[in-house]
Amino acid sequence: MVEFVVNGASVSVETDSSKPLLWVLREDLELLGPKYGCGIAQCGACRVLIDGVSSFSCITPVGSVAGASVVTVEGLADAEGRLSIIQQAWLDEQVPQCGYCQPGFIIAVTALLESTPRPTDTDIDETITNICRCGTYPRIRRAIHRAAAMLAER
Amino acid sequence: MPLLLSRRAFLLTGAALGGTALVAAVGGVGYLALVDVDGLDGYVDGDRAVLNAFLTIHEDGRVVVNVPRTEMGQGIHTGLAMVVAEELDIPFDDRISVDFPVEPLPAYASWFNVLQQRPEEASGPVVWIGRRVLGLLGFIATGASASTMALWYPMRLAGAAARQMLLAAGAARLGVPVNQLTTADGFVRHEASGQSLSYGELAREASVLPPPNDPPLKPASDWRLIGRSQPRVDLPAKIRGEPVFGMDVVQPGLLYASIRHAPVFGAQVARVVNEAEVRTVAGVRDVAIIDGRQVAVVAESWWRAEQAAQRLDIEWAQTDGDGINSAEMSARLQAALGSDAPYENINDGDVEASIANSSMSVIEKTYEVPFLTHACMEPMNATVIVREDGTAEAWVPSQSPLGVRTGVQRGTEWGGVEPTSLTCNITMNGGAFGRRGDLDVAAQAAFLATRHRGRPVKLIWSREEDVGRGLYRSHAAARLRAVLGPDGLPSAYDALVAAQSVIESVAGRNLPFNPGPDGDRLTVEGGDKLHYAIPNRRIRSQHVASHVPIGLWRSNGFSFNTFFTESFIDECALAAGRDPLDYRRALLRNSPRHLTVLNRVAEMAGWGSAMAPGRGRGIAIEECYRSVVAQVAEVTVGEDGVVTVDRVFCAIDVGMVINPDAVIAQMEGGIAFGVTAALMSSITLESGAVVESNFHDFPMLRLANAPEIEVTIVDSGLPPGGAGEPGIVPIAGAIANALQAATGRRIRSLPLTTTETIAERRTRTVLPTSAV
Repeated sequence: MVEFVVNGASVSVETDSSKPLLWVLREDLELLGPKYGCGIAQCGACRVLIDGVSSFSCITPVGSVAGASVVTVEGLADAEGRLSIIQQAWLDEQVPQCGYCQPGFIIAVTALLESTPRPTDTDIDETITNICRCGTYPRIRRAIHRAAAMLAER
Repeated sequence: MPLLLSRRAFLLTGAALGGTALVAAVGGVGYLALVDVDGLDGYVDGDRAVLNAFLTIHEDGRVVVNVPRTEMGQGIHTGLAMVVAEELDIPFDDRISVDFPVEPLPAYASWFNVLQQRPEEASGPVVWIGRRVLGLLGFIATGASASTMALWYPMRLAGAAARQMLLAAGAARLGVPVNQLTTADGFVRHEASGQSLSYGELAREASVLPPPNDPPLKPASDWRLIGRSQPRVDLPAKIRGEPVFGMDVVQPGLLYASIRHAPVFGAQVARVVNEAEVRTVAGVRDVAIIDGRQVAVVAESWWRAEQAAQRLDIEWAQTDGDGINSAEMSARLQAALGSDAPYENINDGDVEASIANSSMSVIEKTYEVPFLTHACMEPMNATVIVREDGTAEAWVPSQSPLGVRTGVQRGTEWGGVEPTSLTCNITMNGGAFGRRGDLDVAAQAAFLATRHRGRPVKLIWSREEDVGRGLYRSHAAARLRAVLGPDGLPSAYDALVAAQSVIESVAGRNLPFNPGPDGDRLTVEGGDKLHYAIPNRRIRSQHVASHVPIGLWRSNGFSFNTFFTESFIDECALAAGRDPLDYRRALLRNSPRHLTVLNRVAEMAGWGSAMAPGRGRGIAIEECYRSVVAQVAEVTVGEDGVVTVDRVFCAIDVGMVINPDAVIAQMEGGIAFGVTAALMSSITLESGAVVESNFHDFPMLRLANAPEIEVTIVDSGLPPGGAGEPGIVPIAGAIANALQAATGRRIRSLPLTTTETIAERRTRTVLPTSAV
């Protein structure tokens, strides 16, 4: 039994504590936003926030998040369903193509803008290392700068 | 679903009495001929009215557009919904949604244009019969960049016909002549009396009226949507992380499966050494050998299934492929380039005589590219249930509904089950790139489902299976020869391409017949350079078989041939002492469409302006998928040999554009896909097996090394061409040409060099010192 908080709600999951958080979220909690892409912390499609830190859920044993607060892409919109500023920037810039990797990017950028509200291109290059096979990178970069500007105006 | 053989059947039967009139009627481009030959009659179902196979209107005004194509990131659902909304005269807002119901397959199937034929050109009895056959087979697929060119016109007609039916229903309801009515924003209006009725109110009455054969289409001057960027209808759900992919399918009682394929392609399973032990792993429900060739573990969790699969000890039978490595494959291709009897695809003029009689020396160069895999972000998966009552249902992210159907039939046959009915659901695809047209995954999942009747089985391939056991873009090579005339331009051009036949490989896995390799046009596409004015020209191909399965791969032959030929044209320009842009201008003097695109991209890039040492720009152009695309790449080669593609300029004439932003996105995405192939990744063979296994050794472009991209759409006013693949096509040639400009060195194989080790590949963007 592992207890933690997901998107603000307490959960307790009857599972092997070595099961990766990704598969607990997807199989046990039916939170399907975090995606399986590589299983080896290369592509970032599985990223979630663990106590605010952008983390690869595919290599994180669920036992290690006991008592922690996990946020998935499903937890970013507010209670009324309004998109987060970063999600709104993603929509404004029409970022996704197939969209499979985008929850991971949105999570990674959420963490980046929390710590670095006005990131430079170098900050972005060093932090946002996720893979998008469709090649939405130019729009991702624009959306990050747009979200940063929107956050600054708020 | 009530499929009524009523008014349309009557209309066609009436036409049939006229004999040749039938051919004339179905050969034209009227609504009935195009949409309704195998069409779905309108009907009312609760609060929704189905006006035709493509369009449903709900009482509350919501409009559902059925787009018979897979959404895999290209934005096709949005583009074709825009076309319907335009003709229907409704705003493009959140009242419109898109669905891809597979039920009325025949109605959609007649719209697959195998040869990228535009419907307005598709006339005559042969085309009509072809469409009937495709309709009967239920054969539709999303690929070949063909969706817009095949469907934009019939879907316009479907929207326009529905609008006429709504007007007729309005006229009946209001008791006024139809010519006194107009439509706007989803309403039928009677200006004189000020009355208006919403489409939602009228849809049920409209749906049972006879459709017009030739509904008037809106003139382009009245378009409010076509040609103006609209937001993608599928993006809000994707940005919220909603479960739209095959990977996200959840059904009660779901079981999960992981799979192991033979490391050496085609090997049979000799024995699962530790089957009994793996069966005892917690959560494991089954260990199954599929078709004698794969081993799957079924468990209550995919993580469990994969953990158990990692413990499998499988003995594979020996095969002829066991000793093959990439060097051997390369040697076979080089040997094929010496073939004295290759297949002749094109032979114009007299190449041999022209070369023999020339006083100039022959320019002869050889180029090569490796195997590549698709690496869709969503790994291969399929979910299938075979219920106790004999019915079956499948959920698959696929480019081909018929492939899913055939796959499930094949898999259930392996299991000795014949489903009494089969429902196929096509989910959104997390990337596809040609990979998801194959039926393999659906067949495997269906077989597993027959062993667990009543429970859905979701089979997921691990990334390692996806990369290392894929269906690859062919390893390919070409020998190009030319002699230059007095003006420095080629007077003879001779190409010989050696590759595996993609058609032969794909047909062998998916179809009941196989056309074989000869004449496979995918092998030589991009190799003919037909748009260049060269008097003597020959293209030949020599197919080289191997044990490696070849698949459709975004842009197929163009992905290598355009690299070969556009590199070679630059080498000819260099030999002639001409600027590569001016050289191409001279070769395109008879092709104004190409010249316009070429000049536009040169202008965007500031061609001819000085560049710093270590930097260079290269240009390339191709006609493909009925579009013309040209790109200029700017590269920097650092003192350490690191190559960076800094900027790419892209001009495309894609004909008439429906959703400009989607075309721009496809160019951006295609360029990224092509830069990865040009600079970063390859699939290599060692002892018959693929060496690469995941993103650490099959690296992808990331934000840090993604170029800036500028795209311009050139409007030629031609009917729509394709956009999904052209973006990739010129980029490798443009980069190779830019590297020549930057370093003085010509690189003739991708990625950059084929002599490096696996460890070196991880820093793929480093040129060997000798190249700098």
